[in-house]
Amino acid sequence: MSAIGIGRARHRTPYWLLLPGGVWLAVFFVVPMVSMASISLQEGSLERGYELTWRFQTYLDVLTKYDTQFIRSLAYGLITTVVLLVVGYPVAYAIAFRGGRWKNVLLFLLILPFFVSFIIRTLEWKFVLADDGILLGTLKDWGVLSAGFRVLATPLAVVGGLVYNFLPFMVLPLYVALEKMDRSLLDAASDLYSSRREAFLRVTLPLSLPGVFAGSLLTFIPAVGDFLNAAVLGGVGTTMIGNVIQTEFLVNNDYPEAAAISFLLLAGILAGVALYARLLGTEELTG
Amino acid sequence: MRDPLWARRLSRRELLRLAGRGSAFLGASAFLSACGVAGQGRQSGPEDDASPEALPPSAGELVVASWPLYINQQQGDRSPTLIAFEEQTGISIQYKVVISANEEFFGTIREPLARGEPVGFDVIVVTDWLIEKMARLGFLRELDHTRLPNFENAFEKFVDPPFDPGNTHSIPWAAGITGIGYDISLTGRELTSVEDLFDPAFEGHVGMFREMRDTFGLMLLAQGVTPQDATVADIERAQRKLLDQRDEGIVRGYYGNDYTDQLATGSLWVSMAWSGDVFALQLDNPNLRFIIPEEGGMRWSDNMAIPATAEHPTDAHEWMNFAYTPRIAADITEWVWYESPVSQVPEIIVQDAAEAEGADRALLERIAGSPLVFPDEATVASTYNYKVLDEEEEAIWNELFQEVTQG
Repeated sequence: MSAIGIGRARHRTPYWLLLPGGVWLAVFFVVPMVSMASISLQEGSLERGYELTWRFQTYLDVLTKYDTQFIRSLAYGLITTVVLLVVGYPVAYAIAFRGGRWKNVLLFLLILPFFVSFIIRTLEWKFVLADDGILLGTLKDWGVLSAGFRVLATPLAVVGGLVYNFLPFMVLPLYVALEKMDRSLLDAASDLYSSRREAFLRVTLPLSLPGVFAGSLLTFIPAVGDFLNAAVLGGVGTTMIGNVIQTEFLVNNDYPEAAAISFLLLAGILAGVALYARLLGTEELTG
Repeated sequence: MRDPLWARRLSRRELLRLAGRGSAFLGASAFLSACGVAGQGRQSGPEDDASPEALPPSAGELVVASWPLYINQQQGDRSPTLIAFEEQTGISIQYKVVISANEEFFGTIREPLARGEPVGFDVIVVTDWLIEKMARLGFLRELDHTRLPNFENAFEKFVDPPFDPGNTHSIPWAAGITGIGYDISLTGRELTSVEDLFDPAFEGHVGMFREMRDTFGLMLLAQGVTPQDATVADIERAQRKLLDQRDEGIVRGYYGNDYTDQLATGSLWVSMAWSGDVFALQLDNPNLRFIIPEEGGMRWSDNMAIPATAEHPTDAHEWMNFAYTPRIAADITEWVWYESPVSQVPEIIVQDAAEAEGADRALLERIAGSPLVFPDEATVASTYNYKVLDEEEEAIWNELFQEVTQG
């Protein structure tokens, strides 16, 4: 085989490596997406059957009908992500820089609750936080809280559930970014007379931005589309767009509206993420 | 030898506590599977009614889909009823608790039914209005009544119901009442009326149902409208009432089966409720009450039916017939606390009570004497059936209802 042939073969290798993932995506992502796109433009009902009529009006309909839930979901997702950043960054920082030989144990403890299904854990919160449950009931008996006080069925409960459920997805990417940082850069900063605060702001923080970006995406995207926390911990006025999609699919059997909402949600998330990438600056994100 | 009733009672009570969690899980899994199904593409139109074709020979196996806590169980054991069925018929039965809400369950079997494919269940237990809807869509197999001789044990009132004339597609499993449940130690007073669900004093502690027919039903009764005669204008007024209740912050949420643990934990002071559940919760918390509001309550039945594409229809008939054996039906009722359609059951329970002692006796006597388990004429007169909705009407009602629950 000639040298050129080997070169060409090498050149092709990456494409072959992409093949399994590519086929997977084509079958389980592209095909369903095309099918959903088609459904979103159909008209009809279960009893009459559905027919493709290219009705784009459905998108406008659901946008006006469910604008509150769209905005609410994006807001809940945003608040969740910000809270997670504020809570998760110190955790990741402490494990990466101060964890020492306990690092693996600490990481394990972080993941430990996730050995239990998230549905079970979310449902347990409902019992812990019940109005007359172990926590609130006791506080009420002590007279700390008024009898009518409640956490469940409020936006606080839903956002709290989201924060709780997504915490590791924020901490782990942050940890990876901080862990792989070259510590000698901090020595260099202090040699150059920077304070510890300055060294953090000008060295550590910028270098951890890829972790911030990855963590935000891993939490914001699923949080916006989440339906479980609102269904279990929420009540009146906390319905998220995921719950609307569930109802449209399962109760109303209105596949076109459900598909249209799903696409609008996808578009909304993509727009949000693009804006975020622009704000953070893409060159930093590639490390 | 049957085990002591208190053991059975205990297990049901504990299970009931878990019921809410279970139903949320069912909801979640139903959602996930329906997402997968929905991606499959276009719906075909409804198929022709399953013609009453001859039954194939028994396959020796059978799968039943039902609701949580709807058959007698022993702690850690299979239901004695299932064991008895297998011993008597030689048919092995799988009893799957996969239904927590009619619509959501229907969502998971609708697509395969529309395509004429098996759904994995030979008997399903669903509420009367869904029987009507599925029969209309041709999704149910016509029953062969020559195979159901025990159905002659049924109470007159369960025969030939309006939602399924001639019991062509279904026979009842159990029946119950939708009314109001409350904890008198939290409300501080007796409740009597649907209007009590709107009392500002209970702000943030009132539960309403996600079952559209139940919730609209009580609202219609509050307006003095018989649910079966409701017009769209009536429903719009009912919706207005619900919207006000929601916007004033009186409602805590819209619940499915999980209202039971909310009532038990005191998060809900007042809630729409199903009769048998409250009966069971009372054993734990004697402060709980169930009332049929003075305006009226809703009456419903859950019915056994065979999906048109069921793979073991003959075995399905065997099971349905077996469930109408008086002794078997009484065992189930003593544990489930919903009304049995089998006419000999009240007598048998009275007899059992006479033979039992202590706590068992008290409980059995309570069951036998309860107008909620065995509605007397006054109870029946104060409860109403759901309106049979056509597709268009159902869509309008659903849309109005969801504006309330999804706001």
